[in-house]
Amino acid sequence: MTQETLIQAAIAVLLLPLVSYLVQLAAGRRLPRQGDWLATGFLGLAFVLALTIALYFLSAFDQTLVYSANFQWLNLGKDWSIQIGLKLDNLSAVTLAMVTLISFLVHLFSIAYLHDDDRYATYFGYLGLFTFSMLGIVLSDNLFSMYMFWELVGLSSYLLIGFWFHKKEAAAASTKAFVTNRIGDIGMWLGILILWSQFYTVNLDEIASGIQNGQFTLSTGWLTLGGILLFMGAVGKSAQFPLHVWLPDAMEGPTPVSALIHAATMVAAGVYFIARVFIILTPDALTVIAVVGAFTAFMAATMALTQNDIKRILAYSTVSQLGYMIMGLGVGAYSAAVFHLFTHAFFKAALFLGSGAVIYAMHHEQDIREMGGLRKKLPVTFVTYLIATSALAGLPLFSGFLSKDAIIAGGWGWASFQGGGWYTLIPSLGLAAALLTAFYMGRQVFLVFFGEPRNQDKFDHAHEVPAVMWIPLVVLSVLSLFPVFSLNPLAGDSGWFMNLIPSLQSVVPGVDGAARLAGLAELTHHAHWTTVVSSILMTLTGLAIAFVIYMKKAVDADKLAASLRPLYLMSFNKWYFDELYEVTVVRGNIVLAKVSAFFDTFVIDFLVNVTGFIVGFFGLLVRKFQTGKVQSYIAFAVIGILVFFVLKGIL
Amino acid sequence: MESLTLNHFLTLSAVLFSLGVFGVMTRRNAVVVLMGIELMLNSANINLIAFSRYNGNMDGQMLAIFVIVLAAAEAAVALAIILNLYSNYNTVNLDEVDQLKE
Repeated sequence: MTQETLIQAAIAVLLLPLVSYLVQLAAGRRLPRQGDWLATGFLGLAFVLALTIALYFLSAFDQTLVYSANFQWLNLGKDWSIQIGLKLDNLSAVTLAMVTLISFLVHLFSIAYLHDDDRYATYFGYLGLFTFSMLGIVLSDNLFSMYMFWELVGLSSYLLIGFWFHKKEAAAASTKAFVTNRIGDIGMWLGILILWSQFYTVNLDEIASGIQNGQFTLSTGWLTLGGILLFMGAVGKSAQFPLHVWLPDAMEGPTPVSALIHAATMVAAGVYFIARVFIILTPDALTVIAVVGAFTAFMAATMALTQNDIKRILAYSTVSQLGYMIMGLGVGAYSAAVFHLFTHAFFKAALFLGSGAVIYAMHHEQDIREMGGLRKKLPVTFVTYLIATSALAGLPLFSGFLSKDAIIAGGWGWASFQGGGWYTLIPSLGLAAALLTAFYMGRQVFLVFFGEPRNQDKFDHAHEVPAVMWIPLVVLSVLSLFPVFSLNPLAGDSGWFMNLIPSLQSVVPGVDGAARLAGLAELTHHAHWTTVVSSILMTLTGLAIAFVIYMKKAVDADKLAASLRPLYLMSFNKWYFDELYEVTVVRGNIVLAKVSAFFDTFVIDFLVNVTGFIVGFFGLLVRKFQTGKVQSYIAFAVIGILVFFVLKGIL
Repeated sequence: MESLTLNHFLTLSAVLFSLGVFGVMTRRNAVVVLMGIELMLNSANINLIAFSRYNGNMDGQMLAIFVIVLAAAEAAVALAIILNLYSNYNTVNLDEVDQLKE
């Protein structure tokens, strides 16, 4: 394949979901079956094309292979022009295949899940729009079009989360997601402007080479600030602390949407974006990123411990896993973080779709306390769910273990590279989160699939889901097994993925990129085996605790919760973040709005009214001359002329 | 005997014009106002002819003929307006027609 063919194929992959969206919107309702076959078919075609591209890059297996194409989109005179275009490298090629595959499977799954929805056609249209925006981010070679697609992702996620907008919670959740994302996006835009002000280009490669050549004339502090501002965008999209609050609420959307948005795409966009700008981030900015990521990973894991909604547990788990990825990028374990992005996309999509299957089978029951013993009723769902859970919990032989382990090892390597001290807290938080992950996933699986049914009526009516629903589950769970990524089940870095997409060298001035990269790799390698052992221990401990409490019932969960009541409440109420934001941000906003309203009513309106009054007053004066009598007008004209001539004579 | 000079014509014209203005401004009756306007136009004509003679070319006379044509057209239109005024207000007294104020 030539470069031209590849670029054309990538453009086709990008545009197919958009076509699907337009067709569904214009004619979806009039098509047979409301056009679901068309939307799914478009995505299937996009996936085949994307897979072809990815296979081409895989067969070439060249770490430096890059194809790009761009054109001038806007010319502001001088050299202030904005070039936009797309870039195909190993990262974007495999991400393209991953996103289209998951989107395709979600389309397939939705055919059964939403078959009796009133807005069935519109739903598939929105899925197309969302996929289009996500692919746009993946393919962009510049910050500008990336930002545009970034906002499109925000919009389409708003539409999808609020798809059942007649439900009050769904409407509120979509607004919350949108507003929270906007807060992060403002930071991202400011970061882009800092870079633009220095280089007058938005092309990522040009910015990187500009920084490398020392054309960044401001101090390094500004570069750090720019990096942190860009990271703010990722904080919003990837639901990191302190903007993580939207993601759990977003579970009000249809479950397949959760699989698409909260597993493989929207939340991964933040991580992908940081991966794209990774080389221009200063060590200080990276430290901030690592701290935020590690804290989020731990915090969200503790929140997941006590939730009862099957999807909310997965939502907090997603936040936690995204924390891992962000932490991985922060500690310089670039390739491990991107690797986790991939493995997580597959097993988390499997979990979300699996939970969708459970909810479907239980007639829209989401509370895990109402479930139990479902492994007999849903054998296929059970097996796939078990595989995906093992991957998430980080058991050896599953994909999640490979990537999570690589991130934590990278964390240890980074901590010793930085000279120990408090830096060791970062990988320790990662390890602690691994234990918590194993526990809450164990709890969920034991409560949902094992034991006795707790709601006999619903249990009796449960039945295995149709083939369009379990086929995606099987595909995704197979992709969660270790041989897909690495033949050695204990070392992810020997697999194809981490060799195809190696860590990148920083271009920041004042940092010896090559030495830093080599040092991190060396120390990470040292930490490998201790990490393997400790993380396996952590996972097994977590699962064992869950087993003892929820299977053997050796310890009563309620009594345990009562004895640890403050901790339990803190976890159950999500660390009171919603309440905190309610009294600070929301109330603060309302107070600000009231102050503005007061100012508007009593200052702005007052000034306007005074202006109007003055004009009216003069109008009253002048009105006296407007008699309506034609002769008085003539008199004024004659007097005017006379005055004019008199004055002319005098002057 | 003193012959007629340009100044005589100009004085006559100024007097006639002032009379016209006075008529337009003071008369109540719309028809009389119209007559005042005619007076003003013709005083201008006298000026034009006088200057034409004084300068020894025909430009002023041309213009005067043009004004006469125009005055005829104007009189027709103005009389039509006055007729309409009468049919609407039942009067040609300009003091009573002040709807323009509203």
